[in-house]
Amino acid sequence: MRPRASSASLTITDLRKDFGDTPAVDGISIDVPEGSFLVLLGPSGCGKTTTLRMLAGLEDPTGGEIRFGDRVIARGDGTEMVPPAEREAGLVFQSYALWPHKTVFQNVTWPLTVAKWSKEARRARGEEVLSLLSISDLADRYPGEISGGQQQRVAIARMIAPQPKVLLFDEPLSNLDAKLRVDTRGELMRVHRSTGATSVYVTHDQVEAMTMATHIALMKDGRIEQFGTPRELLESPRTAFTATFIGTPPANIIDCEVAGGRLSAFGVDCGAAPASVRGGALKAMYRAGSIEIDLEASASGCLEATFADQVPMADKWVVGVDLLDGTRVSVSRDTPVDLLPGDGIGLRPPQAPDAYFDVDGALLDTEVVR
Amino acid sequence: MSTAPAPRRTTVGRTVARARTALTRPTVVLGAGTLLVLLVLVMAPLIGLVNTTLQSDNRQAWSDVFASPMSQNLLWRPMGNSILMGVATAVGSTVIGGFLAWVVVMTRVPGRRLLGLLAMIPFALPSFALALAWESVFRNDLVGGSTGILVNLGISVPDWLAWGPVPIAATLTAHYFSLSFMLIAAALAGVNGDLMEAAEMTGASTLRVAKDIALPVVAPAMISGALLAFAEGVSNFVSPALLGLPVRFHTLSTRLYGAISTGDVSRGYVLSIVLILVAALIMYASTRVTGGRRSFETITGKGGRRRGVELGILGRPVAGLAWLLVTCTTIVPGIVLVLSSLTRHTNDFTSGLTLHYWIGGSDPALAQGQPGVLNNPQILQATWNTVLLGVCVAIGAGVLGLLISYVITRSSGPKWLVGTLNVTSFVPFLIPGIALGAAFIAQFGAPIGPLPSLYGTFAILVLAGIAATIPFSVRSGTAALSQVSKDVEESAVMAGAGLFRRIGAIIAPLTARGLFTGGVLVFVQMVRDLSLVVLLATPAMPVLAVLTYQYSSENFTQLANAVTVVIAVISVAATIIARRFEGAAQPWNSNS
Repeated sequence: MRPRASSASLTITDLRKDFGDTPAVDGISIDVPEGSFLVLLGPSGCGKTTTLRMLAGLEDPTGGEIRFGDRVIARGDGTEMVPPAEREAGLVFQSYALWPHKTVFQNVTWPLTVAKWSKEARRARGEEVLSLLSISDLADRYPGEISGGQQQRVAIARMIAPQPKVLLFDEPLSNLDAKLRVDTRGELMRVHRSTGATSVYVTHDQVEAMTMATHIALMKDGRIEQFGTPRELLESPRTAFTATFIGTPPANIIDCEVAGGRLSAFGVDCGAAPASVRGGALKAMYRAGSIEIDLEASASGCLEATFADQVPMADKWVVGVDLLDGTRVSVSRDTPVDLLPGDGIGLRPPQAPDAYFDVDGALLDTEVVR
Repeated sequence: MSTAPAPRRTTVGRTVARARTALTRPTVVLGAGTLLVLLVLVMAPLIGLVNTTLQSDNRQAWSDVFASPMSQNLLWRPMGNSILMGVATAVGSTVIGGFLAWVVVMTRVPGRRLLGLLAMIPFALPSFALALAWESVFRNDLVGGSTGILVNLGISVPDWLAWGPVPIAATLTAHYFSLSFMLIAAALAGVNGDLMEAAEMTGASTLRVAKDIALPVVAPAMISGALLAFAEGVSNFVSPALLGLPVRFHTLSTRLYGAISTGDVSRGYVLSIVLILVAALIMYASTRVTGGRRSFETITGKGGRRRGVELGILGRPVAGLAWLLVTCTTIVPGIVLVLSSLTRHTNDFTSGLTLHYWIGGSDPALAQGQPGVLNNPQILQATWNTVLLGVCVAIGAGVLGLLISYVITRSSGPKWLVGTLNVTSFVPFLIPGIALGAAFIAQFGAPIGPLPSLYGTFAILVLAGIAATIPFSVRSGTAALSQVSKDVEESAVMAGAGLFRRIGAIIAPLTARGLFTGGVLVFVQMVRDLSLVVLLATPAMPVLAVLTYQYSSENFTQLANAVTVVIAVISVAATIIARRFEGAAQPWNSNS
């Protein structure tokens, strides 16, 4: 496949989608340069798929504007609405949405037929994309006769066949098993690189986002919680939600009280309070590696907790424990613990948290004292 | 294509631009188009019907019907008779249908599968088949003309068994119990073994399980079946016409037919409106009970049901009764109709058997010179008309039904449009066939502006047929569309395929099986229907069902019965062919 010179930047401005009185997308703005790999990340119902469908042209925005490059493709006031096929965008559906009555080859080339490509051009392009995705030998099969992973490749081949400038993916890996998911992730990044097209990828899996994205828009309740590079989101979360959503394992948030320049939770001292906060409540962020486990259940200076589960991760063990109020805390350590679920243990906080958030989850702009 | 920044537009400019983008949405155009067609096919005839009775010349008809010395005979007594027939049909159908459903689904009576199959047949046959068969067996000499088999064998038949409410109710019940059976059996099959066993594990008695678990699940189906049977019994035309008219036992349907066919049109229209209101009220109640449209669910064999109800000593009598019921409503009438069409003198086996009424030429000694059905140009013409009518209606209603169900389920069109389509496409379900026929004459029987009168044309039959079957077509269209996921269509949108290309290249091939089956059911419905076409067909434009009715009225019993057999054969053949094609049409499903 030849890399395309014409990719397009993507500009979303104050985009809205209201279903009746309920906003599904509540005014979002995103700007990424051409060739980016933008991931729309968030829990289910956060508006990420609706946003993608507005980019594809399958939903009309009720406010704001979408631009591919300089070209306005949709305006929320209804004055501009470029039909899906004229946006030079391709979409891979979560269900793949292959046409069950067409063979693999027909699935890939039918969009070219619709676009009035010549017969030779269709054949050549069809063979090209099938071989790019290593599915040439499936050309004459029907979708019902091939595996889920192969169907996924057909869906990707069908999307890139008309050489779109923007590639859209709606949770394309969620129907695959774990191993296939990792392999296909690599495949998708290869397709992205070889086409050079700007990609928008919807997922609820932060690992996928961290692996593939050049930019992540973390969404919640129809709004963008934080927009940035994967590294920015991981290292400098601006909200408590971002902190608990990103990372493997994600950071821990513990509700604390402030008194006399110190933090405390459940009556146990949790380190220094930020100078700007004199009293009241706040949320303290601790990374998994910042907290230690004391196997003695009621060790002094430790938060009381109960052991829940543990899982090996790379050369560490991530131990999950529950605080008294049910808050789940993940701690990473070198060795597994020898406990049964429900056994009491202690959590020893560091001298100071890794970050502070106010009770609404917004980052408190404070020099973190280590 | 426009470039940034967005130009500032005036309000008017924005409205125009918005309208322009809305109009590029073919679904909006499609929705408006199908609604227009529906309004013409469904609402216009109803409005025409009401409107005609309100013309100054015709207004008199309302007082004639409701408040005049004639009212008693014109309206109140027929209405009482209609309701009596409705109640009798409802009770009979529910008792027989419920009993058979219980036997087939819950017990281990030998031959349950065949029993279930036979119990579904009467509903698939023309409703006049049973009335004709009854007449062939029980007709006595009260009104003159030839007599039935029993009288010819020297057995006297009392008048109440030969004519009037008892035979009408019996033949209606024998036809419509099938519907109750299908509904109740489907509901009973839903009370699967696990559900019953879970109840029995609590230690509840069998009776208690039946009362607290099975009955509540089945009750909506029973009530729905009863109401449907009631509505059909109230509005049925052919049974009262064949078995009641000769002894002046009138129902609303026969009264309105009599009024319109004798030129007393406006009174007939008023009676049609009354019949529509009565039937619509009941049908509406029925859909409220089931919370949806009439379903034609078939029984699927639930595997793994552990045991049937133990009948013990009652086993044989129960099985005997069940077999007797289905035999008397399917096999016996079939044999009677075939044999009767072979008798030289009507229903008299001593006169000898003959194939004259099937293949004979014109013989002045027999049936006033009418040739046999396979040799009779009028019948051959009617057969051709009937088949063509069935095909045209099946295709027309199928296409319209698919488009309407597409707009209803797939389009993001304006709510009012989708809602209006939904309601309008359901309306014909509430209208008895004979009243819909009357409405079509009222609206299209006279020239409208430059358009000629459609009375007596093939077109009016097709249009009325489409209008009558559109609720069913929309329903089967919706069911077929649900087989195509939204994603599959949207991926064609992304490929740039327009609405009609999507429907042609994606939706139609994927829904072909469901649409074809639905089309065959519509075809069968049209071939065996009498009440819709009885007012619309003319001697110049005959259809089989109407010919049957005419032959029967003129006492050409053998011909009437022979044509009924022809109709039954066409219906059954169409159904079998549909089954055959079902599997072959979709090669991509062959290996999975």
